[in-house]
Amino acid sequence: MSFILELITSFVRKMLELLTFGGKTLTNTLKIYVKTNTGRTLTVNLEPQWDIKNVKELVAPQLGLQPDEVKIIFAGKELSDATTIMQCDLGQQSTLHAIRMRPPTIQREKLLSMSLEEEEPTGTPTEEASKPLNETLLDLQLENDERLNITDEYRVRAKAHFFVHCGQCDKLCNGKLRVRCSLCKGGAFTVHRDPECWDDVLKPRRIPGHCESLEIACVDNAAGDPPYAEFYFKCAEHVSGGEKDFAAPLNLIKNNIKDVPCLACTDVSETVLVFPCAAQHVTCIDCFRQYCRSRLGDRQFMPHPDFGYTLPCPAGCEHSFIEEIHHFKLLTREEYDRYQRFATEEATPPPPCGTLGSVVCSALPQS
Amino acid sequence: MTAPRRLRKELCDLQDNTLKSFRDIKADDENLLRWTGLIVPDNPPYNKGAFRIEINFPAEYPFKPPKINFKTRIYHPNIDEKGQVCLPIISTENWKPATRTEQVVQALIALINDPEPEHPLRAELAEEFLKDRKKFVKNAEDYTKKHSEKRPAD
Repeated sequence: MSFILELITSFVRKMLELLTFGGKTLTNTLKIYVKTNTGRTLTVNLEPQWDIKNVKELVAPQLGLQPDEVKIIFAGKELSDATTIMQCDLGQQSTLHAIRMRPPTIQREKLLSMSLEEEEPTGTPTEEASKPLNETLLDLQLENDERLNITDEYRVRAKAHFFVHCGQCDKLCNGKLRVRCSLCKGGAFTVHRDPECWDDVLKPRRIPGHCESLEIACVDNAAGDPPYAEFYFKCAEHVSGGEKDFAAPLNLIKNNIKDVPCLACTDVSETVLVFPCAAQHVTCIDCFRQYCRSRLGDRQFMPHPDFGYTLPCPAGCEHSFIEEIHHFKLLTREEYDRYQRFATEEATPPPPCGTLGSVVCSALPQS
Repeated sequence: MTAPRRLRKELCDLQDNTLKSFRDIKADDENLLRWTGLIVPDNPPYNKGAFRIEINFPAEYPFKPPKINFKTRIYHPNIDEKGQVCLPIISTENWKPATRTEQVVQALIALINDPEPEHPLRAELAEEFLKDRKKFVKNAEDYTKKHSEKRPAD
């Protein structure tokens, strides 16, 4: 009897060990870099369930400050104390920015000297503005009126989602939108508003913000206007290789939130490519590859004066050429090599960021 | 692969809602790229027979159009002796990947019922059709009786 009892207790102990071990692997400690505007970078380990207040308490002493003197900036937003690390969509080895709050008096003086229409929120940011960008941002394919009347249920589905071609993973990956100052390229930058369309993200000088990357705030011009945000993308599927680890945004690839069937195979896929034609024709990723392959086989890509060697919507719509040629990276490496060879042979001007054939994908944001 | 996925669906749809004028649709099991079917026209002089056609889909379907061939000989200005047919909807310039085979077949049936002598494949038949309709109808009827397949009973 006692033998059986012993067997059971040892079994139970083993199970418990397994459980606690499982628990440990679940608490995914993140190794995060914290950059200050004095040029220091701290390395901290953060638990996903921690909030920003915890981060301030951890970081402030190392900077010789009180926790309430520090603000934490990430992806264009100052984060509120109650925001948890989990909500921020931080990957391993991401970078947060810790900035010393300016003494309130200076801010008030600054405000007075500003024109009235440019009222900036002071003190602690409002709850909405201080949520991380990935929590507040709506899908950029939504039109203006669709953004206004959005139900809570739909909001979850309509949350912004980005796709990139990652040079390191060499495939279509989930992407993360990041923000920096267009002038100093520093990440301690807060945007005045969320981007609402792809132009806001891809074109320069659309969304102004506030830069605290350097000790002296960046200004856009002699009049002291705020600098503009510069958006860029990172791959969400490999450990961040630092602030220069860019990925090419594939802005035509979208979550199929409206359940549009592929024009070729008529399946409704989760991820689709939406052509830039007025009709917004949709193909699934498989059929897009098939389409490119078919046109490549017949050498029917077209040299476009601005975009490079590219394709229009398969339905032949007007003004439907694919502008971001990184979409063709969805082909196999061999096919892409052929695409590049044809492009060169057709003597098109190299595409905008054109480092054809280089190892490092040149998805750098244009400065 | 796009083609088999799409073709399987199109075939099911066509076999489910049977068209009166396009029957007996079959596809090679392992090779969905080749279909056969029977065109059953409504208008004289072709309404005394039925015509077997073959539809060949390229591997790159639907990014490239299918090709249609008549296996049954037909006396028609828009179909030549080899069974080739000139159908604008499946020409390379006009082809749209979203066009379904059903639409292609409907266009073909319309062309059979009402020949378009303005762009013929057989100029002599087009001329006869325009200048001596009686003779054309007589010839076409005789030809249909001689060469075409039996129309389905229903």
